[in-house]
Amino acid sequence: MDFTWTDADRSFRERVREFLRRELPSNWKSISRHGPGSREQTEFSLEFCPKLAAEGLLVPHWPGEWGGADRPTWEHFILGEEMWAAGEPRGAQYMNVNWIGPTLIRYGSAEQKHRYIPEMAAGKAIWCQGFSEPSAGSDLASLRTRAVRDGGDYVINGTKIWTSYAAHADHCFLLARAGGADEGKRGIAIFLVPMDSAGIEVRAIPSLIGHGDIHETFFTDVRVPASARLGEEGEAWTIISYALANERVGIPRYELSSRVLGEMVHELKCRQEFDDPIVQARAGSAFAMCEAARMLVYNAVDQRARGQEPGTEANIARVAVVSAENAVSDFGLDFLPDAYSRGAFPSFLAHHERAIVAGIAAGANEIQLGVIARRHLDLPREAS
Amino acid sequence: MRFEANDDQATFLAVVEQMAASSAGGWKVAANWSRYDWSDALDQELEKNGFHDCAREESLGPVAATAMIQRLAALPVAVECAASSLLRPLFDDNLPRPVAVVESSPTTTIRFLPRAKTLLDISDGKIRHSRINGDDVEQVDSLFAYPMGVLRSAPSQWTETDVDPELVRNRWRIAIAAEITGALKGGLDAVLDHVRNRYQFGRPLGSFQAIQHRLAASAMKIEGAGWLVLKAAQTGIPRDAVLALGYVQNVSTEIVYDLHQFMGAMGLTLEHPLHRWTYRVRLLRTAFGGAHRNLGQLARTQWRAA
Repeated sequence: MDFTWTDADRSFRERVREFLRRELPSNWKSISRHGPGSREQTEFSLEFCPKLAAEGLLVPHWPGEWGGADRPTWEHFILGEEMWAAGEPRGAQYMNVNWIGPTLIRYGSAEQKHRYIPEMAAGKAIWCQGFSEPSAGSDLASLRTRAVRDGGDYVINGTKIWTSYAAHADHCFLLARAGGADEGKRGIAIFLVPMDSAGIEVRAIPSLIGHGDIHETFFTDVRVPASARLGEEGEAWTIISYALANERVGIPRYELSSRVLGEMVHELKCRQEFDDPIVQARAGSAFAMCEAARMLVYNAVDQRARGQEPGTEANIARVAVVSAENAVSDFGLDFLPDAYSRGAFPSFLAHHERAIVAGIAAGANEIQLGVIARRHLDLPREAS
Repeated sequence: MRFEANDDQATFLAVVEQMAASSAGGWKVAANWSRYDWSDALDQELEKNGFHDCAREESLGPVAATAMIQRLAALPVAVECAASSLLRPLFDDNLPRPVAVVESSPTTTIRFLPRAKTLLDISDGKIRHSRINGDDVEQVDSLFAYPMGVLRSAPSQWTETDVDPELVRNRWRIAIAAEITGALKGGLDAVLDHVRNRYQFGRPLGSFQAIQHRLAASAMKIEGAGWLVLKAAQTGIPRDAVLALGYVQNVSTEIVYDLHQFMGAMGLTLEHPLHRWTYRVRLLRTAFGGAHRNLGQLARTQWRAA
């Protein structure tokens, strides 16, 4: 066991930090305040990601033939830590890097790969994720959006909700039911849908988590060719599981939490309010939770780096990350309440907005706990 | 970054596992329904085969010692392993073991004292040790599932050492964090066994979501603590040690409550050994002032505050 970074890892991290110091503009904090799905951050990502790509820092872990450099899993992860801690200047494109790209590389047709991968690897593509529906959130398998085969096409009808990035996305990674409702997961298929297709309407939903971050997306008689389907009709759940396993450990949220906690402590010290033992113990507790989450995430990444199939480690890590992020958010709200008014501390506010969504997006915390209970602790499935 | 044991550590820990598995003896314990069950056989076997010296071996190191402490603390029986494996190797003298450690005052009730041959005082200033014999010690009844004792009188002769006190105290934080983590894991495994097999309302208790979620959250915290303490053992950095100890002490309160809650009335008996894990934790979570003091120290170390 070795829980330290290699010289190569440290040097890579420094290279990423140096790039960020050089390329993030002086007004970056005010841009990042708006959240990864905002117009401001999306527009910025379309300037920033091509620079990352030119530096070989956008998709270094992807295969060489698809614009990557076959770099180790750990480098990808260090890159993610630094980006997330900096306020995620890749905006929505972090999804391309973490899971949409790798999923297309693994399961896409030759045509799909040639059409989509190069622009992702160049940092020029914005995607959204069409998973949740008004009546299918945690119970994703009950989704109702229909894709009906019509000759060489599919015709898609339905509604997606909580769709991050939809207002600015070029494409949607869409789940729809191609089979009957009684087929459950087996009836689901994945479609790669251009967002400028006729029949798509996007409405922003005012929310607590940033401006323009979540949307309702309506699909009315949207026609896509059969070649837009990713994988076979019955294969979707396997592909989704692969994608979600990549997504769940894809966001090193503890890194931002840990750094924001440091900023909170700095502010309390400036106000001479950090000498209070209660404040110190709470800060220590939140920091320890961040570090526990870090170790559990690293454990999941280590397994991936060793080529093992994703297990429950990612679910365990996810629960720990959510707890840590909320502990930091609560610390700030409890001891620096005025920092959340008048926009005085944009990083605290941005962190809070990310924290409150952490346990809900990409599989609610309770779903993760259920998976841990059944698959990791071998507890019996709940009676139906 | 590698979470997998190296070849030597894997071999070593496989043997520890073999020994632990043969000593566990299931969840039922001796009919005397004692608060603790000291396993002389396991203690002797570990000593005879030199397991306590593993931290001295370069390819095993404090990480292997810490993993061993975690594993053995998960057993329903008690052995003195933590001080012998993580502190004793710091001293040139081959201190006789078992080793009892006093963190605050030698007049307090001291864990393992009735079995100890060495008393190690890490409370203040220079580290010192003293030979102990049975006449020096009065065994006392205690809630905590260890042989507990008090000194009849202060040791007549202390040997002062030049070993860095901070190094020793740092190692002791790691050792205790490992013991708490192991004891929580032992208790969790016992409760998991119970809720898989205990039927109420026509179904196993473990199929109820209310129970599943809380046990899953406990498992997450215990695994997190396990990695934190192994990392602290490898780095030896004081911040990592106080972090691991503060974290596991802090999460232990809720976990212990849940373990007893889900074991139900069975967990209130001395027939079931759940109390052995949970009352060890209840003692160890007071170490170095307890969670809040340790987390406060972590904060001061991390952010250089007074």
